[in-house]
Amino acid sequence: MKSAKISLRGMVYASMFAALTAVGAYITIPLQLVPITLQTLFTNLAGALLGGYLGALSQLVYVLLGIMGLPVFAGGKAGLGVLLGPTGGYLVGFIAGTYFMGKMIERREQAGFGWIVLALGVGHVVIYGLGALQLSVVAHLSAAKALAVGVLPFLPGDILKILVAAFLTLKLRELIKL
Amino acid sequence: MYKLGQYLPGVSPVHKRDARVKIIAVVAVSVITLHTKAVGLALVAVAMASVIWIARIPLVYVLRALKPVMPLSALLLLLHLLFTRGTPLLPFPVGLVSVTREGLYLGLLLVGKFLLLVIAASVLTMTTSPSELTMGIERLLRPFRFMGVSSHELAMMLSLTLRFVPILLEEATTIKEAQLARGAVFNSGGLRRRIQTISCLVMPLSTSVFRRCEELINAMEARGYQPGPRTYLQELTLSWGDYLVLITVLLVTAVIIWL
Repeated sequence: MKSAKISLRGMVYASMFAALTAVGAYITIPLQLVPITLQTLFTNLAGALLGGYLGALSQLVYVLLGIMGLPVFAGGKAGLGVLLGPTGGYLVGFIAGTYFMGKMIERREQAGFGWIVLALGVGHVVIYGLGALQLSVVAHLSAAKALAVGVLPFLPGDILKILVAAFLTLKLRELIKL
Repeated sequence: MYKLGQYLPGVSPVHKRDARVKIIAVVAVSVITLHTKAVGLALVAVAMASVIWIARIPLVYVLRALKPVMPLSALLLLLHLLFTRGTPLLPFPVGLVSVTREGLYLGLLLVGKFLLLVIAASVLTMTTSPSELTMGIERLLRPFRFMGVSSHELAMMLSLTLRFVPILLEEATTIKEAQLARGAVFNSGGLRRRIQTISCLVMPLSTSVFRRCEELINAMEARGYQPGPRTYLQELTLSWGDYLVLITVLLVTAVIIWL
């Protein structure tokens, strides 16, 4: 049998971040326009703290959890229907996006605040790209409309969450032993 | 206690089917739904309605499962209604745009497809327990490796996550209430202040999660956990009824794709 590539430590931490991402969808914080949830904050943290591979794995587990029917997707949604529906691209984006975030942060020995913000930003470009792509294909919307509906409303909240995640990464990375 | 998942225990032919068969059936329904137009959708809707009837799922639960996707459906319908060119439905323009027949048709078709996808997935999770689903996914994914992880390890991670979501949810609520009691204000203040308020929510939650991780790792290592093939208390077995359903579903899907 092929030897396992993943350690028990990695498995447990990735599962916990999957659980945190799921729980984050239930913690809402009122903001001026639309209330934000902490879900993507934990997506950011998974990429920044666990690295590309484990971070992406944690998001894969999160998406599978939702497919299994636990109402863990944004707004209490669940099921394969959501993955194949208009907003499913974001879920795939979470997996791909965290991979990019983690890989970029891993490149620096001790990444600073600016580099972490940049990496999380690049990850978000991947998330938005895949999300808007599926939105425009499944819902037959033009690219401009998909961006207006699927990206713009989330920008302020996501920028705030990127800043919080970068700030927390600097504090939390001393505590996590992978 | 937080109610997570939508499983409704019961005895019906739908509940009794093997989890793998039901998962494959939902994938098949999704493929058909995305592939067909109005007539096909109506047929899928009739099929779904009869499955719901056989499974004796109260209609209220189906509607409750649809509630979270309603805002998005309304938005999509509105977008198509207002921005599709074609024959006007009303003799006069509403504001700056005109409502067209093509827009109404396209919008309703899309929303119908989306809602049917959600219903199909809900019926699966209402009639299958989470542990059965984990096992079903594990068995279906057995031939593949995902990102260097075998299906056994993936199933283990899924069970760990399933186990910890309710606990973390409770912990998050406690921490949020504790910080509110200490005077945390979430909806005002400048950027720096906001970052601090959210951090004082996430910091304690994360440190407590890391502690739980360490305890869990120690406990699993102490019990000699080894990644690799595992055995189960209850193995999934396919009955003749399961094979019958499986073959029917695959045949119907193949016919519809070819037509």
